[in-house]
Amino acid sequence: MNPENATCRDIEPDLVAVAAGEAGASAARGVERHVAVCRDCRAELARYRVLEGMVADLRRATVAGADPTLARAELESRLADIRSRMVAYGIFSSPLGKLLIARSELGVSMIRYIDSERSARSYLARLAGDEAVEDKAAVEGTYRDLLDYLSARSTRLSWPLDLRWAGSDFQRRVLAATAELPYGAITSYSGIARRIGAPASVRAVAQALRHNPIPIAIPCHRVIGSSGDLTGYAGSKIGLKEQLLSLEGVPVGLRAHRIERGNMYVRFESETEYCVPTCGSLSEMPMAELTLFGSRRHAEAVGLTPCSSCRPDLHPLSA
Amino acid sequence: MVRDMTEDLFETVVAAHHAEIHRYLVRATSRPGDADDLSQETFVRAYKAYRSLPPDANVRAWLFAIATNLCRNHYRAEGRRRQAMAAAAAGASERGPFWPEGEAIASQASARIDLIVAALPFKQRLAFTLRKVHELDYEAIAASLQCSGESARAHVFQALRKIRRGLDDLDVVHTERQP
Repeated sequence: MNPENATCRDIEPDLVAVAAGEAGASAARGVERHVAVCRDCRAELARYRVLEGMVADLRRATVAGADPTLARAELESRLADIRSRMVAYGIFSSPLGKLLIARSELGVSMIRYIDSERSARSYLARLAGDEAVEDKAAVEGTYRDLLDYLSARSTRLSWPLDLRWAGSDFQRRVLAATAELPYGAITSYSGIARRIGAPASVRAVAQALRHNPIPIAIPCHRVIGSSGDLTGYAGSKIGLKEQLLSLEGVPVGLRAHRIERGNMYVRFESETEYCVPTCGSLSEMPMAELTLFGSRRHAEAVGLTPCSSCRPDLHPLSA
Repeated sequence: MVRDMTEDLFETVVAAHHAEIHRYLVRATSRPGDADDLSQETFVRAYKAYRSLPPDANVRAWLFAIATNLCRNHYRAEGRRRQAMAAAAAGASERGPFWPEGEAIASQASARIDLIVAALPFKQRLAFTLRKVHELDYEAIAASLQCSGESARAHVFQALRKIRRGLDDLDVVHTERQP
């Protein structure tokens, strides 16, 4: 190439293109014509072709110090760590209103009734940080199970649960005991306190259930006050508690926000039989020692048999 | 659930592309240590965004774009790196013309080109590496460098011309180097 010659200067990009095999037809013809008469550019084209060959060798050459093994191993452990902290969530509509459902590698980690999506997202971000990702598809199955449950097509939510967001061991114990409550069965806060061996901690139990990270699946709606009052649910959403209980066949007085013991079948402590509420001295017993059932079906579903003296099977409570 | 498919698929992505992305980053940053960090970061980001990637996306080109983007930030943060590289290159023992004659060893030629490439301006260096080493098409390179396909091509050609001159005389590259 002769730098004094304008044609040589102008044709250089085309030389590069021809050597790289990327030149258009007209550029290629121009190069061909020019190198036929210009020895310098002919030599230049040859050098670009050699260069292309050297560059092709780069693809095969190893780069000094470029062993990815260590980086790969570190990457794998970082990914495993992120994976274990990662939660996928989605926001769905349901018969109970909008719900946020989140789950991790270990199981369902949150169900939350939400008033606004923004507050729900910021709440989740506070808990899970960067590791919370919106991914409706990943929680779609959980949502379907929940819809089946809420429309009474199923009575079980047999999900693995991830309780890492529970605040303390005490809360985990409360949640675990609550999770044991069968479908259609009711106990009181004092009943849960008794079951976890802390009969005096009734208030603490109520607090722990107030912050239940996975309502519905951990059925804190089945826990009521000793007097029969529903007390609270998810802040001020006591109507949802009534809805969930009615779904399970528990007779809830409309807007009364309470359950009458007189309308419920009763199991005393861990007896294997269930009774009508007037059996023996049951009506005098503190709620803490009882489990109430809205229907015989649900009592029998957990393996209880009708009491042989009060015979709830022969004298059922009127609906 | 989170483990649904995403996990297994992403394992495959790591297995298929990590080594190549790492090799790219070694050339792009000229520092294996940085390439270790940036290659990890590339895949961590990819992992988090993977679930929202359209199913028909070109995963490889997408990974190169993430890696390039990280490189750009890294490069901005390390303005002094180039001076260090330039100094290293200038101090290299191979001076004067270098064209493989007959039996020249390919690895020597590669090392020489790598040295020149390391001293190229950022976009030319990356465009050259993406095109000539990793053989991405100009569209993918343009997406990585956030420029048009036309200027991606121009960067590659500029790089080739400089390398070609650098093979005559390494100093040319350094004196032509942009500030």
